[in-house]
Amino acid sequence: MKAALQSPTARALLALLIVLLIGVIFPADDAFYRLGTHRDALRQASVTGILACGMTLVILSGGIDLAVGSILGLTAVCFALFSIWWQWPAWLAVLACLLIGTACGLASGLLVSLLRLQPFIATLAMMVFARGLAKTVSGGVKVATAVKNADGSFRYVDVPDSFRTLDSRLLGGNLSMVTVIFLAVVAVCGVLLTRHVWGRDLYAIGGNEEAARLSGVHVRLSKTLAYAGCGLLAAIAGMCQAAQEQQGDPEAGGGYELNAIAMVVIGGTALTGGRGGILLTLIGAATIGYLEKILSLNAVPEASRLMLTGVIIVAAVLTQRRKRY
Amino acid sequence: MPISRRSFSIAAAGSLLAACSTSKEGKKFTVGMSQCNLGEPWRVQMNADVEAAAAKHPELKVLFKDAQNDTLKQRAHIEEFVSAGVDALIVTPKESQPLTEPIAKAYQAKIPVIVLDRAVVGDQFTTFIGADNRKIGRAAGEWLKKKLNGNGRIVELKGLMTSIPGQDRNQGFRDGIAGSSIEVIFEADMKWLEPDARKEMESALARFPKIDAVYAHNDPGAHGAYLAAQAAGREKDIVFVGIDALPQEGVAYVRQGILSATFQYPTGGAEAIDAVMKLRAAQTIPRQITLGSRVFTAENAAGGGEPLA
Repeated sequence: MKAALQSPTARALLALLIVLLIGVIFPADDAFYRLGTHRDALRQASVTGILACGMTLVILSGGIDLAVGSILGLTAVCFALFSIWWQWPAWLAVLACLLIGTACGLASGLLVSLLRLQPFIATLAMMVFARGLAKTVSGGVKVATAVKNADGSFRYVDVPDSFRTLDSRLLGGNLSMVTVIFLAVVAVCGVLLTRHVWGRDLYAIGGNEEAARLSGVHVRLSKTLAYAGCGLLAAIAGMCQAAQEQQGDPEAGGGYELNAIAMVVIGGTALTGGRGGILLTLIGAATIGYLEKILSLNAVPEASRLMLTGVIIVAAVLTQRRKRY
Repeated sequence: MPISRRSFSIAAAGSLLAACSTSKEGKKFTVGMSQCNLGEPWRVQMNADVEAAAAKHPELKVLFKDAQNDTLKQRAHIEEFVSAGVDALIVTPKESQPLTEPIAKAYQAKIPVIVLDRAVVGDQFTTFIGADNRKIGRAAGEWLKKKLNGNGRIVELKGLMTSIPGQDRNQGFRDGIAGSSIEVIFEADMKWLEPDARKEMESALARFPKIDAVYAHNDPGAHGAYLAAQAAGREKDIVFVGIDALPQEGVAYVRQGILSATFQYPTGGAEAIDAVMKLRAAQTIPRQITLGSRVFTAENAAGGGEPLA
């Protein structure tokens, strides 16, 4: 019993329960007890949550990926561009965006594993590069349903079906499609991390890279794939973002990388690598999502929101401590 | 971010060289345009307006610099333009106080300086061209007062409230609805960002069964609120009003039936080039030019909106 309470999962759940308790104490005219509120809280956490899943892969291997927010922006712009302006079929637009995101991640991964750049530096470079590329591709404007004609006037096109599908709801309107995608991503990452040799290699590399190399782990390949996977997931998040905004905003995702890292850390995955898991990230994502939702429901002023978020993050991480100091 | 800064200064050096060579070669009248931040669509539109207006005058050559929301970078850009010897300078300052002195130095170096959008302190510039956010906010308030017959429950989605435009659009709106039974039941700072506006609106929808109108400090905010209401199946019961009226954003939303009205916050780009041409012809121009605004509604958007009184 005592051992179960001290497991990382139990501790992560405790942090989530504390946040939910705040919601019970301040239900905002009982809005907190409505089903729709919970659907929205989870929907809002989903896009950043998908980023956090990719971040978990990289952090477990002892790295960090600062580029996810920018890759989200880039793929959001590309998805809107392909689907709305160029009217590509959905499968082609999705495939192209997945390739773009993966290519960005792969580039970061190669910089880290082959050229031995610090992950912080390599992904910082990718972060500014991808943001610049997003602005170049979009011409600095949002790619939306108002399409500019050659003579400067605008014509309006319908929101593509792929956007509507990604922003739809299931189970009688009680679950958002993006949340389902998030959960599917969690499931796939979970299987890879616990049942596949690549996942276990990532833990080994994060624990002790030299020891992993000496015991025959393909360190370079595994690490490169972690960044590529992170880029792929950022592309999925970018398409979800574009669908929800019904446009591709080249500024989308600015600062999301920090939220994604916060979700991973609040879940209890160690920033030093080698320790943690995807289920913890799911709980961390829910914790941050509910925290934002509860503050918003109660219309807490921005200044107090920032301070409260800081305090609650520290409180949540303190409950994660393995030992008492 | 060391990398972006380095790459940028290389680009800046390149454009500086270009500036030197053109002013030596030809009789072109060179205008330096120091934009504080091209991350916002409204400022992209402003540069586009300057470019379009300048294209009508083949003797003009406009050099653009983007300070990427960094005051010190913008100060460096202004100083670079002065040492490159441009014939006129258009500046949209990121901040008043810190950029007052660099602008004054340019003005003292006998370069005409047109300050656009945000004012600087003192009188060391040629002219200031800007719109009045408070007036536009008030017009939005009065329009909603009329639309709702002086009675209703409103959600206000505010821009960054530490910024002057956010404060003015808030204060002006409150002045506009004063004396009516209109009540602001939910207000939140969405920091000019559409995803944030959608989140805040979802909270408002969860809390209040009856919302008559949404006033957002910019059009993307109003659009985000509309998407939230649409997902809840309540968009038909709510009047959405935004500000800025960019052709591809607010005006497009009005024409698509998403917003009921948007109030233009003019960029002044064309007026700035107009002022440059007058200065070049040695005409006198006023020290301050206040831009007029227009309202776009479903009835008049196709015809280009109506000027505000």
